[in-house]
Amino acid sequence: MTQSRQPVREGGRRVVAQGLGSHGVGGRAPEGAEQGPGAEQPGNAGGARNPRVSSMASASAPKCNSHTSENEPVKSTSQDGVNCDLNETVPRLPGETLITDKEVIYICPFNGPIKGRVYITNYRLYLRSLETDSTLIFDVPLGVISRIEKMGGATSRGENSYGLDITCKDMRNLRFALKQEGHSRRDMFEILTRYAFPLAHSLPLFAFLNEEKFNVDGWMVYNPVEEYRRQGLPNHQWRITFINKCYELCETYPALLVVPYRASDDDLRRVAAFRSRNRIPVLSWIHPENKMVIVRCSQPLVGMSGKRNKDDEKYLDVIRETNRQLSKLTIYDARPSVNAVANKATGGGYESDDAYHNAELFFLDIHNIHVMRESLKKVKDIVYPNVEESHWLSSLESTHWLEHIKLVLTGAIQVADKVSSGKSSVLVHCSDGWDRTAQLTSLAMLMLDSFYRSIEGFEILVQKEWISFGHKFASRIGHGDKNHADADRSPIFLQFVDCVWQMSKQFPTAFEFNERFLITILDHLYSCRFGTFLLNCESAREKQKVTERTVSLWSLINSNKEKFKNPFYTKEINRVLYPVASMRHLELWVNYYIRWNPRIKQQQPNAVEQRYMELLALRDDYIKRLEELQLANSSKVSSASTSPSSPSQMMPHVQTHF
Amino acid sequence: MEFSELIRTGRAQAELLRGPEAPPLRGTLCVTSHHLLLSPGTEASPDLWLLLLRSVDSIEKRVAGDSGTITLRCKDLRVLQLDIEGVEATLDIARSIEALSSLESVITSFPFFYRPKGLRLGDAWHFHPPERYYQRVARETNAWRLSEVNEDFSLCPSYPRALIVPHSVDDQALARSAGFRQGGRFPVLSYHHARNGTALLRSSQPLTGPQKRRCAEDEELLRAVLVGARPGARGFIIDTRSAQAAKQARMTGGGTEAKAAYPGWKRLHRPLERGRPLQESFVRLVEACGDLEQSMDRWLSRLEGCRWLAHVKEALSTACLAAQGMEREGACILVHGAEGTDSTLLVTSLAQLILDPLSRTMDGFQELVEREWIQAGHPFQLRCAHSAFSHARPKHEAPTFLLFLDCVWQLGRQFPLSLEFGEGLLLALFEHAYASPFGSFLCNSEKERGLCEVRTRTHSLWSGLNQPKEQRKLRNPLYALNPLAIWPSVEPQSLRLWQGLFLRWTRPPEPSETAWEKVWQIVTDSEKTEGSA
Repeated sequence: MTQSRQPVREGGRRVVAQGLGSHGVGGRAPEGAEQGPGAEQPGNAGGARNPRVSSMASASAPKCNSHTSENEPVKSTSQDGVNCDLNETVPRLPGETLITDKEVIYICPFNGPIKGRVYITNYRLYLRSLETDSTLIFDVPLGVISRIEKMGGATSRGENSYGLDITCKDMRNLRFALKQEGHSRRDMFEILTRYAFPLAHSLPLFAFLNEEKFNVDGWMVYNPVEEYRRQGLPNHQWRITFINKCYELCETYPALLVVPYRASDDDLRRVAAFRSRNRIPVLSWIHPENKMVIVRCSQPLVGMSGKRNKDDEKYLDVIRETNRQLSKLTIYDARPSVNAVANKATGGGYESDDAYHNAELFFLDIHNIHVMRESLKKVKDIVYPNVEESHWLSSLESTHWLEHIKLVLTGAIQVADKVSSGKSSVLVHCSDGWDRTAQLTSLAMLMLDSFYRSIEGFEILVQKEWISFGHKFASRIGHGDKNHADADRSPIFLQFVDCVWQMSKQFPTAFEFNERFLITILDHLYSCRFGTFLLNCESAREKQKVTERTVSLWSLINSNKEKFKNPFYTKEINRVLYPVASMRHLELWVNYYIRWNPRIKQQQPNAVEQRYMELLALRDDYIKRLEELQLANSSKVSSASTSPSSPSQMMPHVQTHF
Repeated sequence: MEFSELIRTGRAQAELLRGPEAPPLRGTLCVTSHHLLLSPGTEASPDLWLLLLRSVDSIEKRVAGDSGTITLRCKDLRVLQLDIEGVEATLDIARSIEALSSLESVITSFPFFYRPKGLRLGDAWHFHPPERYYQRVARETNAWRLSEVNEDFSLCPSYPRALIVPHSVDDQALARSAGFRQGGRFPVLSYHHARNGTALLRSSQPLTGPQKRRCAEDEELLRAVLVGARPGARGFIIDTRSAQAAKQARMTGGGTEAKAAYPGWKRLHRPLERGRPLQESFVRLVEACGDLEQSMDRWLSRLEGCRWLAHVKEALSTACLAAQGMEREGACILVHGAEGTDSTLLVTSLAQLILDPLSRTMDGFQELVEREWIQAGHPFQLRCAHSAFSHARPKHEAPTFLLFLDCVWQLGRQFPLSLEFGEGLLLALFEHAYASPFGSFLCNSEKERGLCEVRTRTHSLWSGLNQPKEQRKLRNPLYALNPLAIWPSVEPQSLRLWQGLFLRWTRPPEPSETAWEKVWQIVTDSEKTEGSA
């Protein structure tokens, strides 16, 4: 029976890995070491209650004497680099050069001050402890830095009151204390400012200096012609146009667009005049069977006087008529109706009933970039450096972050449902059509089309709906720019990735990628190591020759795909996912927003990943065998009409077993 | 049979609505002694729909025109609606269900009539008694012995016959100690931590009373525990009441250990919610989860207002404290509150899960539940008489056991590989604790179970659950033995609402069973190919 079952019987590898996970550092060894701080606690805690208990209980997770817990996520991001040997003083990417190093006190919000040596390269800032055998404490790409402030003055008193406070875009702050003598922080401040905000100093972003080589070229992942061909385009109703080849029609749109067959290039030009920033309605996705489409654009330029444009009205009707049986075209305006009305004052607006007889317009009540930015700020306030303890759920509620997530998901569900049910084609816009519109179209496409739920499919989705259609990454993130308070900055893309994460929670077998994939994308959204998220639109990228001069993030990911795979992925063609967007089923993405706090860290991540990798390997092996068997079978009965005709067509069949 | 008097009608035509997911069922409804039965017309599927009447927590009837509607809220939190033809039939059926679902007699309950195919009476009843656990302890140390001083339940009616006590303390001393503890629950071994020889004990409060009485044998017993662990060992007494509540208990004859009387032992107070406030928290949570009308903008603060997750946090942190004392301090731990049958068991059983890898296996966990809850005298019949929907005034109901299951679920979520069992087992235990065809959770103590002949006349839940066909639902496919302690994070950010239980009937589109079934397929298919390789 169980009781006689000894741990020894279990396979060694797994057990060891799990040990590492649950204790942060090396198996049982640290337990003895940790008795020091722990030893007094039950005694001390005698009378006092709550806070002490909780800190004790979680103190059981690695704490204090093991800083490793903190650098774990860092290690993993640096591991995908070329040099990751922890013993080497300076992990460096090809093209990365060391600028300076300096002895500092790192004021860790969780474990108190740590003496360390900070190294600054043209790509990153990292810190080695000078206390415990030069452990890496953190490793932060400079692109993550949003603001550098001096704290204290030359005359400040008190320990560690003189130094630098660095605000990061990824929900953390780094504080250093420096020696007061000899302006020691001036150098560091200047160098950091220079390399963290290179654009303000006429320096190139690191992506243009990065000389990394990968065996896969991520720039080849997205080819618009191929992607539209996959969707069955062009067809009788829709054509591919190169009218925007030189970005003359619309500066922020891609060169290649899909438009109704019956609309001429001249029509398009006239429509462009009536749409904000010339972002005319173009096709994003077409349903393979019912041929309903998702079309995206910006707001019509109605203005206070309620201008109309016959060409625009006709164009929308042409879109509707691509499905003959349709009597109405559905328009989803992502904004709250008050905002849409208010936009008339600045020349914008929405499609009125009188002008667009054959359209039905709904507002989706999603707020603008400023509201989202403030909401995320509030989230940071309650998770960093200290997590809100006593009223966690109501404080979380007061940030409204999950409510915004809910509204975005709800909107996307409505778009997906209209299209998938064959009720109507859908036109989506907000004001300029590059923030909320991108969120809605890409999430709806993720729900509708299982292709986008694979690793490469998702890369294509991001590349298409976000990057090529001009989501203003440079403005929203502020790459290399020192103006941290720029009102253009907003976490719109992060919010999209959060929505994807919520979906992957609700459908644990539907996505080929795992959580690490999403976190890696977000990390490199800021890092400026790759060219993928640089600049605001395709025309700007072309001018800067981004694809020639930088490496794509997808090169990194696709050359090491295993790490990013979800072992429970089950490929299901034609399955539409409708996530539940009720508040009951949404949760804060703790592994992302609170990942710097060692107390909240998901337990034993190493072990889980290890086990997942094992499962993946086993599964791949199994698929291979099955394939071999089926191949052997089908060659025996190759004439049988029921058997698939080629191995490539068999794959889906094989995989649906899972 | 007496039941027939309670059954007011033979049968009626009805339609059953089982929530948004399942299709409605039409057929002939009838009430039997223990079940509500719906048999579809002959042409439809031949499957019978069956509901154990005991699992009905509350019943609501409405009549309109010549038909009626009965809403049944079940103890497993399901809500069912029956649309019945005929007003009389509706009222009769409602009255029959009301009468039959609230029968209090144990020996006429369904487990005494349940005779499933493939199971033999008496199987698995001797699966996990304390004697078995003692065999394990005896292999690890000789500091403990098995005492049968409670053979006839005269010392302590809520303890089992056999108990593990310090080797050097004789039965006579135990009897004295029992006289000094409420309900006779003297300190007994709950878990021996073989890694460093420390022990986890549980008891009830000492009866010091206003005069601060002492009991030499009780003091000697605890001294012997420390000596048995190792010379100079220290101990902590974790009192699950606040210091003030413990002091107040003296007025009613209870109290807590005086510092001077128990050298080497230090007392800590960790108040845990119990009784009515805990039940109310449960009721509020279920209400909030079922309230689909309400605007969901306020969901999070409403969830917080229910305080359920705060109770989960307190229970887990207290268990961590006990486990930490043993693992990190090398101290012995005694846990008690007042009666020692509720929050005490919550803490000792959770501490074992944290420390003991064997208790995280399928068999080990079942043994833990049997030993630390059923045999340890958690009054299941009183605590689980009603679930969250009952309109009856709560008397002794409290979801302590559910709170334990929730804490275990949190552990499983934080350590996805370390528990051999999955959510399925926890859900099954919740259901069976409140209403079951098996006898395991009947009565309040071993003594009562003996009087009712539960062991010989009903089937054990464990024999039911351990049938091969049940296993896939209950096991965790990702399990890999983890020989270390698993320390959960108890920050509010790390704790989640147990959706699989509280939102079970309003759940997301890919229920976890479906997902887990796929995972099982991956794992077993892989193993098959591994085997054939």
